[in-house]
Amino acid sequence: MNTLTTIEELGFAPALQQDVLEDTTSDHALLEATRSGDQDAFAELVSRYRNQITSYIYRMTNDYDGAVDLAQETFVRVYRAADRYQRSYAFSTYIYRIATNLAISELRKRKRRKLVSLTGFFQPSDGAEAKELNPPDLRPLQDSELVDTERRNAVQRAISTLPEKYRAPLILRDVDGRSYDEIARILETSEGTVKSRISRARGFLREKMRAYL
Amino acid sequence: MRNNNCRVVRQELDELMLGEACSSSAAEHLRECAECREFNQQQTRLRQIVGSLGTVAAPADFDFRLRARLANDSSGTAAWLFTRRGFAFATVLLIFATGAVLMRNVLNRPAAREEVVTTTPSQVPVPQPPKQVETPEQNALVNSGEQVGGKPLYRRPQTIRNEQASTTVAKAPRRLVAEDFSGTGAQVINRQEPASAFEAFSLDASPQSFKVSLDDGRGNARTISVPTISFGSQRMLQTGNQFAPKRDW
Repeated sequence: MNTLTTIEELGFAPALQQDVLEDTTSDHALLEATRSGDQDAFAELVSRYRNQITSYIYRMTNDYDGAVDLAQETFVRVYRAADRYQRSYAFSTYIYRIATNLAISELRKRKRRKLVSLTGFFQPSDGAEAKELNPPDLRPLQDSELVDTERRNAVQRAISTLPEKYRAPLILRDVDGRSYDEIARILETSEGTVKSRISRARGFLREKMRAYL
Repeated sequence: MRNNNCRVVRQELDELMLGEACSSSAAEHLRECAECREFNQQQTRLRQIVGSLGTVAAPADFDFRLRARLANDSSGTAAWLFTRRGFAFATVLLIFATGAVLMRNVLNRPAAREEVVTTTPSQVPVPQPPKQVETPEQNALVNSGEQVGGKPLYRRPQTIRNEQASTTVAKAPRRLVAEDFSGTGAQVINRQEPASAFEAFSLDASPQSFKVSLDDGRGNARTISVPTISFGSQRMLQTGNQFAPKRDW
């Protein structure tokens, strides 16, 4: 009878190595490494989330340069607060929460400054129906790609007119495809509230996008 | 009943992920209800459009700019911490200084009150009247009761009352000395004494003014001149008809 001399002979060595490999490349592990001064680990985190966070903030603010700036601010805050990070939530929830807060702060700043984009919609302050500055041309376009582009622009403008409390859950759900549970944790609210807000947001959008549906 | 069903089905459709199959009851309701079917089609189309927005890519220099920003922030943070520490230090110093001043005031205040309480008329220390610098000759004259030019040397009497003294002590933080005259008898003028014991002078005497010389000790001498008191043409006598009607004088 042959005796086993090495652990590889047990047959589950590859699975064990895979687990260890996954653990070292998880978001939590990368943040732990960042905390201990590993710059490459932080660079890996940035490369994983930079597009998602930039896109999310862009959908929230409808301003690409500002979104890039706020996305960088998000990573700066993650880096600074790496020592205080707790593993109770997923890292994605954590970073999306920071991004959401920054985006909402930016929207409120704009509201105070009465900053209105000339290419967007005029949003009345009393909650009445928003007026579109540049109404869509309802005539059919020849090129389907142009039609899609026009439709996407229209829906992006329509999203930017939504109140911020409806905007964030709608983007997280319909653009990023996140679960209600995760959205509730990101927005620090209940799942029922998230569902209700998403439903209201879709109702608003349906009214605004009636010409495209 | 049907409206209720529509609301439930629409809520279920709303909560589904895009492309996810609905329940059999909802599917059956959709086959029967045209409004809900239209709602489902519009909702699906809307979600497809919104979902087609996709992800916007970050710029190529995102990492580079982020590194530069982190480097700037770390130096900025150090400066901010330094400024903040300096500010905190200045604040602590200010608080200590304010506290010291307050403490000093608090410590001084009870002492003044205690002094007022313990300063009863019987315990009032014998006042040291304002020291008047007098020439040796004047001192000698005052002590011996002699007169200068036929008149006694004038000294301003201390007429501070006890209440006034106490009030003054309570207000002033310094230690004040008050003179208590309650135990000192006033000078009594006795009628039985011979008139010559009192000063009686004729009004037609030369109107020589009464003068007192004062020296403040720093070489500044002052002379106070008190004019002679005049009672008109009558003669002031310490006699029995002193209190008689004026016309009898």
